[in-house]
Amino acid sequence: MITLSLCLLFLPLLSAAVTLFFLRKNGNVASLLSVFTSGGILLLSLLLIINSEDTPISWDITWFEMGGWALKFGFLLDAPARLLLFVVAFVGFLIHVFSLGYMADDSARSRYFGGLSIFMFSMLGITLADNLIMIFVFWELVGFSSYLLIAHYFTTEDAAQASKKAFIVNRVGDFGFLIGIVLTYWTFGTVNLSELADLADFDPKLTSTLLCLALACGFIGKSAQFPLHVWLPDAMAGPTPVSALIHAATMVAAGIYLLLRIDFLFTPEALNLIALLGAVMGLYAGFCALVQRDIKKILAYSTLSQLGYMAAAFGLGMPGIALFHLMTHAFFKALMFLGSGSVIHACHHEQDIFNYGGLRKRMPITAITFLIGVLAISGVNFLSGYFSKDAILLGAYNFNLPVFIILYLGALLTAVYMFRLYFITFEGEARSHNSEEAKENNLLMTGPLVVLAVLSVIGGYHALFPVSLLEYSLPDIEMVAQLPHHMWMIVLGTSAWIFGLIFSRSFYGKVGEDDPLSSRFPGFFDLCRSKLFFDEIYDFYLKKVQNPLANFLEVMELLFISGLMVRGLAGVSALFALLAKACYVGKIHAYSFWFVVGTIAFIAYAVGLIAF
Amino acid sequence: MESITPHHFLILATLLFVVGFLGVLIRRNVLLMLMSLELMLNGVNIALVAFSRSSLNLDGSIFVFFIMTVAAAEVAVGLALLVALFKKRDSVFSEDMRLLRN
Repeated sequence: MITLSLCLLFLPLLSAAVTLFFLRKNGNVASLLSVFTSGGILLLSLLLIINSEDTPISWDITWFEMGGWALKFGFLLDAPARLLLFVVAFVGFLIHVFSLGYMADDSARSRYFGGLSIFMFSMLGITLADNLIMIFVFWELVGFSSYLLIAHYFTTEDAAQASKKAFIVNRVGDFGFLIGIVLTYWTFGTVNLSELADLADFDPKLTSTLLCLALACGFIGKSAQFPLHVWLPDAMAGPTPVSALIHAATMVAAGIYLLLRIDFLFTPEALNLIALLGAVMGLYAGFCALVQRDIKKILAYSTLSQLGYMAAAFGLGMPGIALFHLMTHAFFKALMFLGSGSVIHACHHEQDIFNYGGLRKRMPITAITFLIGVLAISGVNFLSGYFSKDAILLGAYNFNLPVFIILYLGALLTAVYMFRLYFITFEGEARSHNSEEAKENNLLMTGPLVVLAVLSVIGGYHALFPVSLLEYSLPDIEMVAQLPHHMWMIVLGTSAWIFGLIFSRSFYGKVGEDDPLSSRFPGFFDLCRSKLFFDEIYDFYLKKVQNPLANFLEVMELLFISGLMVRGLAGVSALFALLAKACYVGKIHAYSFWFVVGTIAFIAYAVGLIAF
Repeated sequence: MESITPHHFLILATLLFVVGFLGVLIRRNVLLMLMSLELMLNGVNIALVAFSRSSLNLDGSIFVFFIMTVAAAEVAVGLALLVALFKKRDSVFSEDMRLLRN
């Protein structure tokens, strides 16, 4: 089993290395290698999931030692890890296949597929890691691969800037995460997850709100939650399959997974804060998504909003539901991102939805699968999103009413902006030359769409999955099923998506080149467009506060550390060197003279004639 | 007529030593510098013998034999080096032997 999991982890790294060293010029072979690797990962993961059902894999070796402290490298493949492993391997494989079609014309395919392999390696590392430091290492590695892949089109200014932004904003969160890890080690004396769980179980007083909030900083950065959400919409500058895999289905969900891994550390206050934070994010991102024109940005904000739902579910004490929603969200969000990729590919990289229109007739498979994704995320009854999202809403209704109200408004908005996206893109008349000439893509691209569409439909029926896969979520699902007000919630949830459907149909059914919202409610439109000025505030902070401070520190450094201390000390010793150099004249006579003078002085001192 | 005391020997020894030292300082010719060095050694030898005689102890005289032996050996090596140097440089003047300074 352990050999198997080691193979699983290092297979993509091997593939990336081979690509890097031998296949840089050979995109065809590199892409096939990467796709076969991801296929291998899928097979190995399924094997592992089936075999680890009864006994979770827990294994470690010492990586290195410093004094009495040893850093372990180990695996912990338990119930939540199995589910994430399945999601990563399965969605990852489909997106690799889709990439074959999407990136077929790209000249830098080997770089792209190498990056995907590195990402798979890092993501599997997070999934399997059994201690916080190892999670942190792979955490940074996914950040790196995300940087690499966002910057795939690095010749464009957008992508170059976006990759930097994603990397730097993540650093801010990771700094908090690192402090959290240090605090954890300080308090518990270990960073191993199982040992931490035992210790926290043994003495619940050990943990503190500060500690778990510091650890949650990692989640806030990686899952792009408030106030570090600004990087995710910009990250859409990368290739669309990358957005689907990394910035929707798996990497951003790793933040939620981190929370689940350390849920025993969380105090009620911290949980409440996270629930509120998630719920507000769900609503805020909804408003942002409502007014975007770029198809990928709409989906990006929708991702933020759904991550907010997962965070809320976790904060409300339903981590199982959060993971369940992570899975269903991975299916339908990957589906919609790949659908948008299919549209973008067919329309020659046109991304403005107001330049699409009427694509349903020209791209029937993409349109139908995309519609399924929209229905699933809106929470249409008996599709996958209905089960997971309404479970969160029902839990919120019973546990925390303010959070429920925010989440429900978010759900209404989700339905509105998702149907808006669908109607503007696929219905009506074509509004540009590109969209008139669009054609359905080949099987490599539609195949993954169909598979994901099927899963988006049936993904909510937990009875269909093997028990080992959803073991972690089942108790919470059953708990939610027992909660009161079930009927009431079905009515509310159903009315939410029906409202979204009718509103969008009437409001966005027949649009021209402009967003009808901007002419009817310009004030509201502009407010949403501004995204509450977060980017501007951060810019202001950087330009007016941080840069002057950095400049001031630089001057101080030049003056005191570099000037006075480093140069000063060097100057003093240089002075001595100058003196000593003056004695070195190159004449043997001078040397012998000084030698005798020195000897005489020494003897004089030794016998006491002169004294210093 | 005054008898010869150890002081006289010491004055002679000091004179010899100073003459040798001035030779080392002033001469440009390395061969002469080497000879001046021998002169300084002999000055020391005289001082040793004088002390040995005045204190009725043979240690100093024996030490002189050692010094002479070592000096003989040293001169042999020094001259050999000098010959080799002359063959290479065509010069025995010390100002021509300052490769490291340049």
